[in-house]
Amino acid sequence: MSNIVGIVNYGIAGNIHSVKKAIEKAGGDTLVISSPSDFDLVDKIVIPGVGSFKDAMQELENDGFIGLLKEFDKPILGICLGMQILAELGFEFGKTRGLGLLNAEVKPILCDAKIPHMGFNKIQVINSNKVMKGVEVEEFYFMHSYEVVNYTDIAALTKYGNHSFVSAIHKGNLYGVQFHPEKSRQAGIRLLSNFIQLEG
Amino acid sequence: MNTRIIAKLDVKPPYVVKPVHFEGLRKMGNPSQLARKYYDQGADELFYIDIVSSLYQRKILADGIREAANELFIPFAVGGGVKSVDDFSKMFHMGADKVVINTHAVQNDPSIINKAAEVFGNQAVVVNIEAKKWQQNWECYTDCGRIQSGKDVLEWVQEVEQRGAGEILLQSVDADGRRKGFDIELATNVVDSVDIPVVVSSGAGSLEDIKELIEIASPSGVAVASLLHYDQVTIQDIKNYLRNSGIMVSQ
Repeated sequence: MSNIVGIVNYGIAGNIHSVKKAIEKAGGDTLVISSPSDFDLVDKIVIPGVGSFKDAMQELENDGFIGLLKEFDKPILGICLGMQILAELGFEFGKTRGLGLLNAEVKPILCDAKIPHMGFNKIQVINSNKVMKGVEVEEFYFMHSYEVVNYTDIAALTKYGNHSFVSAIHKGNLYGVQFHPEKSRQAGIRLLSNFIQLEG
Repeated sequence: MNTRIIAKLDVKPPYVVKPVHFEGLRKMGNPSQLARKYYDQGADELFYIDIVSSLYQRKILADGIREAANELFIPFAVGGGVKSVDDFSKMFHMGADKVVINTHAVQNDPSIINKAAEVFGNQAVVVNIEAKKWQQNWECYTDCGRIQSGKDVLEWVQEVEQRGAGEILLQSVDADGRRKGFDIELATNVVDSVDIPVVVSSGAGSLEDIKELIEIASPSGVAVASLLHYDQVTIQDIKNYLRNSGIMVSQ
């Protein structure tokens, strides 16, 4: 059975390079999804995340990817903005509709500490899953000003300053991490390896 | 909160160089080899600054960046000669996670910060400040501390924050490369002026210097160059020393 990880390439903003390198390091075969027909060729999807919510949704719309992502029933891993756009609504540069796969909104982080939240930080696993297995006590690299507000699909929380936010989600075939596994040394590679090994 | 320990590579292609007071360059090695070395030592991040590209209006050498970014699974910030949203985009596609801008924003068009933040998110936009003390204030310089801008550092950092910058790389023209300690007064003032993270560079001469900076100014990160390039200490030495002093750093 084939096991190809598709990486969604959206527009000028996405840094797919480092995600691709990391998935390959984790032992995965990758295919960069640049057109709608590529969705038929892949067994899993990673949505990377560099950019703003508004811009990302616009690019996905222009590329004709929105319907295909909504219908994809095999494992999806959203990274940072890639997790955020799974939500219903985002509030970065105005109000933008997301993919609506997750009952959540994406709002600015409001807390006492410096924003964006940047750097390695711990996660506190609330509901473990196969993707988080073996990395529960590791530190991951965060780089974000917005957070996913969700109450029903939380896999992990992270504390920043005195503020806790959702740092990982899991709902059916959907996995999401607010941090960047591709920027989190061996712990990140391990997480990606777990994702690659999921059964479709 | 962990204070980030960052290795900074000042590059004059094809070498990492070490300017003293931003002048008198010494060759320190090959960018990708040094990047690899500091990654293995446990650096939280790498900053790669092409220090001549804006001076000679030259584009950053794409291959150098790509080579350095290739095998490193930590964030990689790249700067030098950035003039347009298209330049930002090119750097992200070469493997940069953040793009560092100075000259163009200070001297020509500050609105490039707004434009880049809107397209790439503010976490990806780092503004480099080259501060030089002038009477009781600090003035922004560009092009490796050679060209004055007339802009006050504390006003400028607030302006770039409002425009959407996600982080500040603070360098001191006076302290850079001398290994005699940071300009802690400057660092404290900048950290207190903004709500975005500030990474402080220029002047680390010892582990004590770094500890003192963190204890007094509380920057989000410290970027170290000479101290590492001369093999005086490793990243792991810095982290162990800080941890033993009660300062939180990542593993």
